[in-house]
Amino acid sequence: MTIDQIKVLISDDSVFARKKLKDYILSLGVAEVLEANDGQEAIDLYKENKPDVVFMDIIMPKKTGIEAVTEILAFDSKAKVVMASSVGTQKYLKDAITAGAYEFLQKPIDNNLVQKILQNIVKEG
Amino acid sequence: MYSQFFGNYLLNNKLVTAKQLAEAMEIKSETRLKLGVLAISAGFMNASQVEIIHGEQQRVDKRFGDLAIERGYMTSEQVNKLLAAQKTGFLLLGQALVDKGYLTNAQFSNAISDYKLKYKIKSEDNFSSTSDAMISIVSEFYHFGNASCTKTVTEYVSLLLKNIIRFIGDDFTPLEATLINNFKCERIISQQICGKFSAFTAVEANDSTIAEFASRFAQEELNTVDEYTTAAVGEFLNLHNGLFTVNMSNVNDVELELMPQKSEHNTVLDLKTNAFCIPIVFTFGTVNFILSTKN
Repeated sequence: MTIDQIKVLISDDSVFARKKLKDYILSLGVAEVLEANDGQEAIDLYKENKPDVVFMDIIMPKKTGIEAVTEILAFDSKAKVVMASSVGTQKYLKDAITAGAYEFLQKPIDNNLVQKILQNIVKEG
Repeated sequence: MYSQFFGNYLLNNKLVTAKQLAEAMEIKSETRLKLGVLAISAGFMNASQVEIIHGEQQRVDKRFGDLAIERGYMTSEQVNKLLAAQKTGFLLLGQALVDKGYLTNAQFSNAISDYKLKYKIKSEDNFSSTSDAMISIVSEFYHFGNASCTKTVTEYVSLLLKNIIRFIGDDFTPLEATLINNFKCERIISQQICGKFSAFTAVEANDSTIAEFASRFAQEELNTVDEYTTAAVGEFLNLHNGLFTVNMSNVNDVELELMPQKSEHNTVLDLKTNAFCIPIVFTFGTVNFILSTKN
């Protein structure tokens, strides 16, 4: 798999946070980036599109990122969901790992880490 | 950090006008700190000694530090200490006001010593903005009462000022906090903190100021206030509250949760409990930071 073949889903209730991350991911050569505004929309979009990786905010209305990752993994146990939160406490980290998150990023998101994650996704095919 | 509170001090004591202060804040970014200003601030030299050296510099082509050592005003150790601090940007504001002729060196010298006395700032604090020094100045400046959560409120506001400098800029003057319960808002972006320290936090300003605040944070030009602009301000609030939550967990062993941010336009904030309104005057407008605690 090459980077232009992967499909990314960004789930964040902030249009600002989504655009910043989307612009960066597109600049790496990713062709398809989907956007969800809350946890429920993320679940629905995941089921419809089966993206290769999801970037998931934790603090969101309707359903939190933790609830969404749990439901996504119940649907597809191989789903790769990267949690992104401004709250990098041990508790949040533990909740994310327990729920089955692939990675945890603290906001403001370091673009280099996003690039590394996407490179790993490409390698793992 | 001290230059922001120093600006407020000068304003309150009517030593400068708001217009002069704003002008000085704008030019301070282009100014390099003069050794004479630092020497006064550190208490190594007095204003008249600085004037003598400045006069001498017009006649001989020598550096300030060398002349001060020759005349026995400072030791070479003291000069080296000042040279190291020159890059930190401390007190650029005072220097800009002196350069503009709004303050004389003597007025500046008096103001700085009164200011330090009032806020219990030690000379060595000038050179490092440690967390302890920051918390001490914030608790001296703001009067958050004697409530059980005063310490937490002080930590919250100290971190807020640091994050404003980090993400928005240092061209601001904080005004004293006021107590509010009804507050007319043009544009307000808020976020609730839940847990042992439960609080309502918000950023409020008029549209043009919100647009400029968002532009600074997003590092792109935003002229209108749309969903993207308010989301950028919301992200600032979220990052700040997130860092606060991490500190509370690491330092105080208190686990807190954040709620999604909300944005509202032309509304009246009606709070059940009193809230602190903390106005920050930037060169582009005034932003009110609102903090209401429940316990």
